[in-house]
Amino acid sequence: MADVLTAAPPTAASSPPRRFSRRWRNTLIGWSFILPNFLGFAVLTLVPVIAAFVLSFMDWDSYNAPEWIGLKNFQRMLHDESTKVALKNTAYYALGHVPLTVLAALGLALLLNRKIAGVGFFRAAAFFPYITSMVAVAVVWNMLFNPEFGPINQFLHFIGVDNAPGWTTSTSWAMPAVIVTSVWRDMGYYMILFLAGLQAIPTEHYEAAKMDGANNWQRFRHVTLPGLRPVTFLVLILLTVQSFKVFDLIVVMTDGGPGRATLVLSQQIYRQGIVEGEFGYASAISLVLFLLVLVLTLTQFWFNNRRERK
Amino acid sequence: MNRRKLLAYGAAVAAAAPLAACGSNDDDSSSSGPVELTISVWSMDSTPEFKALFDAFQKANPDITIKPVDILAADYPTKVTTMLAGGDSTDVITMKNVIDYARYAGRGQLKDLTSAATSSTFSSANGLDAFKQDGGKYFALPYRQDFWVLYYNKKLFDAAGKTYPTNLTWDQYVDLAKSLTAGAGQNKVYGTYHHTWRSIVQAIAAAQTGGNQLGPDYSFFTDQYKTALALQDGGATLDFGTAKTQKTGYASMFETKKTTMLPMGTWFIAKILADKKAGTTDVDWAIAPLPQRPGGTGVTTFGSPTAFAVNKNAKHSAAAQKFVEFACGPEGAKAIAAIGVVPALLTEDIRTSYFALAGMPTDETSKKAFNPDKINLEMPVSDKTSKIDTILNEEHDLIMTKAKSIDGGIAEITSRVKNEAS
Amino acid sequence: MKAALRVLLYVVLTVAAVAILVPFLWMISASLKRNNEVLTIPVQWIPTDFQWKNFSSIWTQIPLGTYLRNTIFLSAVITFLQVLTGSFAAYGFAKMRFPGRDALFFAYIATIAVPWQAYMIPQYIMMQKAGLTNTFWSLILLQAFGAFGVFLMRQYYLTIPEELSEAARVDGLTEYGIWARVILPLSKPALASLALLTFVNTWNDYMGPFIYLTSNDLWTIQLGLRSFVGQFDADYAMMMTGSVLSVLPILLIFLVGQRYFIQGIATSGMKG
Repeated sequence: MADVLTAAPPTAASSPPRRFSRRWRNTLIGWSFILPNFLGFAVLTLVPVIAAFVLSFMDWDSYNAPEWIGLKNFQRMLHDESTKVALKNTAYYALGHVPLTVLAALGLALLLNRKIAGVGFFRAAAFFPYITSMVAVAVVWNMLFNPEFGPINQFLHFIGVDNAPGWTTSTSWAMPAVIVTSVWRDMGYYMILFLAGLQAIPTEHYEAAKMDGANNWQRFRHVTLPGLRPVTFLVLILLTVQSFKVFDLIVVMTDGGPGRATLVLSQQIYRQGIVEGEFGYASAISLVLFLLVLVLTLTQFWFNNRRERK
Repeated sequence: MNRRKLLAYGAAVAAAAPLAACGSNDDDSSSSGPVELTISVWSMDSTPEFKALFDAFQKANPDITIKPVDILAADYPTKVTTMLAGGDSTDVITMKNVIDYARYAGRGQLKDLTSAATSSTFSSANGLDAFKQDGGKYFALPYRQDFWVLYYNKKLFDAAGKTYPTNLTWDQYVDLAKSLTAGAGQNKVYGTYHHTWRSIVQAIAAAQTGGNQLGPDYSFFTDQYKTALALQDGGATLDFGTAKTQKTGYASMFETKKTTMLPMGTWFIAKILADKKAGTTDVDWAIAPLPQRPGGTGVTTFGSPTAFAVNKNAKHSAAAQKFVEFACGPEGAKAIAAIGVVPALLTEDIRTSYFALAGMPTDETSKKAFNPDKINLEMPVSDKTSKIDTILNEEHDLIMTKAKSIDGGIAEITSRVKNEAS
Repeated sequence: MKAALRVLLYVVLTVAAVAILVPFLWMISASLKRNNEVLTIPVQWIPTDFQWKNFSSIWTQIPLGTYLRNTIFLSAVITFLQVLTGSFAAYGFAKMRFPGRDALFFAYIATIAVPWQAYMIPQYIMMQKAGLTNTFWSLILLQAFGAFGVFLMRQYYLTIPEELSEAARVDGLTEYGIWARVILPLSKPALASLALLTFVNTWNDYMGPFIYLTSNDLWTIQLGLRSFVGQFDADYAMMMTGSVLSVLPILLIFLVGQRYFIQGIATSGMKG
């Protein structure tokens, strides 16, 4: 694994005789950078997370002493229809949400990374969905998606679509509706990360490309995209993780409905744990969710690294 | 393997430790000197009954001061579950619903109140049965029990030239609702408004046909779903999908006169009284008994109690029990009835004083509606209740949005309950 | 031709901005209504009778001033610590080489993937035992040391050419000196975006403060807004009034922070 992650350029090679002490020194200094954050992180996040994973092999009601039950929670999952539905829905959501949000956020960042009057206003507008009250988001988007009087379906009727979808009131169209809403909500957030990334690309690179006669697309392809790679990687990982953990938006917008059409994993974890009081089982589901995201993340790390080496 | 076991024991110890730490409470049996009693409540400001109870109790017990632990209503159970898991020592825990109560009691997080519950004072309290656990034990006492009635707007009935409802059957109710529906678009006034909760179909069906919502047979839902869908298809109520996705407020529908009738719980009385006083609505209203299935006798409705319990880790256990018995007893009932809240201990005296409140309708039908023959529990309590509740909610969505037929939905409920909650 | 394009750009941007802001406009409209007029079918965009007094009465209906102060305090402290420790640790991950570095970094990233619903109760039990529940400490400790800041800053540091650090080493700067004098000044856009996003997330966090802060005088704005939701109904008008007010400070922070996203500032230091 250590190899997979090597993305930082090597520091200067040290001379052989002093190698050992130099290496120790480097380790110490490295740790001294990491320690202030790591201490807080290890005690307050890592320990509870590990505790949760241990609990996934136990039966626990949050109050009485837990009981070791081995793999029973995982066996139970195999027969739990709702968890399977939630897993499928979560994957569906991620598949739609991740690529669309990356495209929208990158597009916005490129559009708003220029010196135009009122750029602050436009950037703020793009970011506003992220800070708009969730209740307002749910009510307005559900109104836009309303099958009868919603503007979206009225438009579809206008252009001649006869059987316009029922969106959030239909089991097959609720998820696309949720995905559209979530892309709208998150694009400004990731736009900020892309905007920061764009500032790191030296202007000389663009000038050099221009001198070589590169057109807009070529400059984007050969200067912008490679320069943004570490940030794109960051955005992809964060987005993947956040898509698999999606909770608030779904709860407020559809609460998993209609039926189980938009039920996602973190909702299922919440229901099994906090609501039903079966914390062992809830932990087991979250362990599965974690492993799933881990595989996806590792794959992204691996791809990123291969590109980095080229 | 060894390492994993070690971790497991570590987690076990970590989880069990708070129990040990909180085992010893202050012994306040001598009850000398002032006591500060902590009580968990939801949305203190918008739930005036708590203040009414606390004021009355403190007046009667000057040596005890009450410190409310205010928790947001929307996620009240989440916080209480978390607090109790951490071994919290809040003295009195308010039980917002019966399902959560069963869970806390089952885990041994609440103090046994059986002797109080079985005493003559409380045996007549509405909804007490919901708190009976295995072995005939009680761990909480109900202080309020709302039940469902039919609200209607008198002015809209007058305008349509219809007589006020008295004791309708569901079929009569559907016809009446259709004939009361008028207007279109922005100005449409619906004959009735059915909120999106599943209880409006399922709990009514259970209460009035004797069916059991815990299964295994759910065919008793059929007629009530036909009623609900007939209203929706006839345009006599806002369609379910819109109401659900737009988070339509039943209070808005009734108070802004968008609906003529509204089946709803008695908690809405206090809200209308308060809103009329504040001048945000001038709706002229009254209540009638909930419509009935033909063939039944008397008026059967349903309701859900809320209760007080004493935390097993309470700092002041004796004082806490004193409060619970006060709040759920006649004095507490009087205090909350005075602000329009329906107490569990609903005696004739309390009813009379309730209808004497300013702004209450005074007609005979309203009084009759307030004295139903039978109040069934909204949802029976067992260790399967919350699982079945989730299934019923999900399938209710599907039947009401017509993703499934009534028969198809009921078949799905039957098989899911069998497979997922047994 | 160029001018026409520019006009077109503005038209497109303005239309898009208004479309994007529709839910926000609904918020403003709802904040000026009576509660029972908010969720009507169909939506009424312009209130029949403007309730301007919502904006004054909210300050007395809930202790909004206290909530605002608490939220500002928490957001500021957490953002400061997150930016400081995050950018510091990121240097270790991006610019130093030592055994175990990558495994450690991966542990950071991996925990982001665990949903809070899973470890909320163990975390609470720990905090309760440490006696930190119902204090600001619990939230500050929980949120100031997240993996997010480390990850963001590390990725940004990777884009800074290694030659700059090398040159500084040759000039005799220590690693701490390089971090403070070379890397930090070059990462202003990243620091700005980290600060902005952390601030916003802390400001809008609901579950954390809800679970850990019990006393009403410690509550944050988000708890105050949710306190308009009662057992059977909600005061959406007041909730939206509060939401509109709570967005204003974020808007201010945003407008200040976004100034750092201007091409040319960061790169100027790298020339030569």
